[in-house]
Amino acid sequence: MKKRSVLYGLVLIVCGVLVPLQALALSADEIVNKANLAYYYAGSDGAAKVRMTITDTRGRKRLRELTMLRYDVEDGGRQKFYVYFHRPADVEGMVYMVWKNPERDDDRWLYIPAIDLIKRVSQRDKRSSFAGSNFTYEDVSGRLPGDDVHELIGEDTLDGRETYVLKNIPRDKDLVEFSFYKTWIDKENFLPLKGEYYDKAGRLARIITVEKIENVQDIPTVVKARAKAVEGGETVIEFMDVRYNVGLKERIFSERYLRRPPRRWIR
Amino acid sequence: MDKVKGRRILLACVLLLAQALCLSDRVLGVEIGGFVEAAHGLKLGDERAEKNAYNLSELRVQLKGLYLPEALDAVSGEVAWKGEALIDGYEGDTSFYFRELNLSFTPFEFMDLKVGRQILTWGTGDLLFVNDLFPKDYVSFFTGRDDEYLKLPSDALRLWVFTEYADLDLVIIPSFTPNESVRGKRLSFYDGLKGRIIGREDGRTFVEPKNTAENMEFALRVRRTLRSSELEFYFFRGFYKEPRGILDSDREEYFYPRLNVYGASLRGPLLGGIGSIEVGFYDSREDTKGRNGNIENSSVKYLAGYTRELTGDFSVGVQYMVEEMLLYDRYRDSLSAGTPARDEFRHLVTLRLTRLFLSQTLKMELFTFYSPSDRDVYLRPSISYDVTDALGVTAGANIFSGSFDHTEFGQLEGNDNLYLRARYSF
Repeated sequence: MKKRSVLYGLVLIVCGVLVPLQALALSADEIVNKANLAYYYAGSDGAAKVRMTITDTRGRKRLRELTMLRYDVEDGGRQKFYVYFHRPADVEGMVYMVWKNPERDDDRWLYIPAIDLIKRVSQRDKRSSFAGSNFTYEDVSGRLPGDDVHELIGEDTLDGRETYVLKNIPRDKDLVEFSFYKTWIDKENFLPLKGEYYDKAGRLARIITVEKIENVQDIPTVVKARAKAVEGGETVIEFMDVRYNVGLKERIFSERYLRRPPRRWIR
Repeated sequence: MDKVKGRRILLACVLLLAQALCLSDRVLGVEIGGFVEAAHGLKLGDERAEKNAYNLSELRVQLKGLYLPEALDAVSGEVAWKGEALIDGYEGDTSFYFRELNLSFTPFEFMDLKVGRQILTWGTGDLLFVNDLFPKDYVSFFTGRDDEYLKLPSDALRLWVFTEYADLDLVIIPSFTPNESVRGKRLSFYDGLKGRIIGREDGRTFVEPKNTAENMEFALRVRRTLRSSELEFYFFRGFYKEPRGILDSDREEYFYPRLNVYGASLRGPLLGGIGSIEVGFYDSREDTKGRNGNIENSSVKYLAGYTRELTGDFSVGVQYMVEEMLLYDRYRDSLSAGTPARDEFRHLVTLRLTRLFLSQTLKMELFTFYSPSDRDVYLRPSISYDVTDALGVTAGANIFSGSFDHTEFGQLEGNDNLYLRARYSF
């Protein structure tokens, strides 16, 4: 009886030591999956006003303002986005809707209010610029973790935050503009703090840095980030009035609400 | 228009604009916006239309607003309007009108309603229309106004019903609005009765259906989503939007014959792009047997389209349309001697190429209509640039060419024009 107790005790102690050890030794894929959930799937839904300030190579500034609504059909899986443009004035009222499908092509719609037109949009190139900015569509709505091979290449400290440094190599090189990219992921909250994109020749081409993180409803949230093209031009993106778990209905993400924007969320 | 009146109107516009600018985005719960646009179109040589040097020269002010009355909060009520002032240097007059003025609300969870003046669009075509029988302005389209002016507003009641299985979309249009068709003023055209190209001497009159309960137009659409694709069925009961009937050939009187259209479409992802097919049976109600040479025969329109993004900044769209005239033998028999016969099948191909440059601030586009059966072509090249977020400029051309005078685009040969537009949005 005693012996058995000792055995149990030993097992417990071993487990107690091993479990945290395992947590420390996260694989690259686990880190990326956690980062994906932390950054793109926070809460079960979300609403935010987004402001992008685009500065071109000649220093001219352009402003984009939009409201983004997000609904997670499943955590880490299917998602729906509703993007309502406020500025510039000539596209005010335009709505861009995406149903993100990890297992097949995304479904995309564009509503042009001036002619009451709903267009289906094909988008093969998810790496193209989002609304003329230095962010790509994938930067905004997420890149599938399975699209890259991830490698943990080290650890680093950024502004006092401990981070994992990962190298991500695309599985299909023809679909992307980069040969690989590096990401710095916060060890504590798993938010990506920095990204470096290297072009096909292996030269650094674009740097994304997170400049401000706030706790929104106890969820660490990126509220300001900057994408800078090495050859010139940058975009600052700010997320204002961020709200999670607001009770968005899935039906808002449909043709009906392209024509009838849900004003409760869009101001 | 006398000069004093013109100046007053101009002053009023400027004041309104200044007011809108000062008021910023929102005042008393009303969201305000709009634009001022100057447009000029040079004509590249036609002797027949009214003015030879140009067919577009205008200043347009648009003020739009959105008001959410508190009293209608419970039904998500909103009032939207788009008022325009157009100082038209070609016509030499100024007009004020509403392009939109409507009330939308949701009386029940499963139902939306929109009442008043509104722009209506449906169907899968890109600048081609099979089941969209809502009014259009081809004069604006051919002379270089913004694409949005191809659509004319309708005074209508629109009702949507959303169910688990399908969405229903019913439009009731109490008073008929025809297309704005080419009338020889800004553009010359082929006059079938005279058998030649006609310009300012156009003497035709178009008789519109009377505003009676019996003449109300109905358009119905039933829509169902199948996975990623959209299946739609359409029904329309009303009138041809072009005067496709001759009332009295001596007096050159035309009318808009009764028309029913039954159609369907399917649109969805295909080979990395978006594919669509649409069909519509045009039932010419006043000449179902095709024996009356003065009234358009029934027909069927088939349309297939495909758009695809080649790179992030370059996209291509192609469409193929076939218009089949039914009871063609009877049409041939009823044709008066000397009138050029239309083909039983009209084939039309379109190609849209769109390329973006300079962080999407510069857009180059070419839209081409080509009919191998009519042997005519219509090219719409354009280039637009956003100088700032507020100021955009567009230059473009409308170029027509054809082997025959009587075909859709062939008749417009000689109406080629170049245009330039500058728009300041706020």
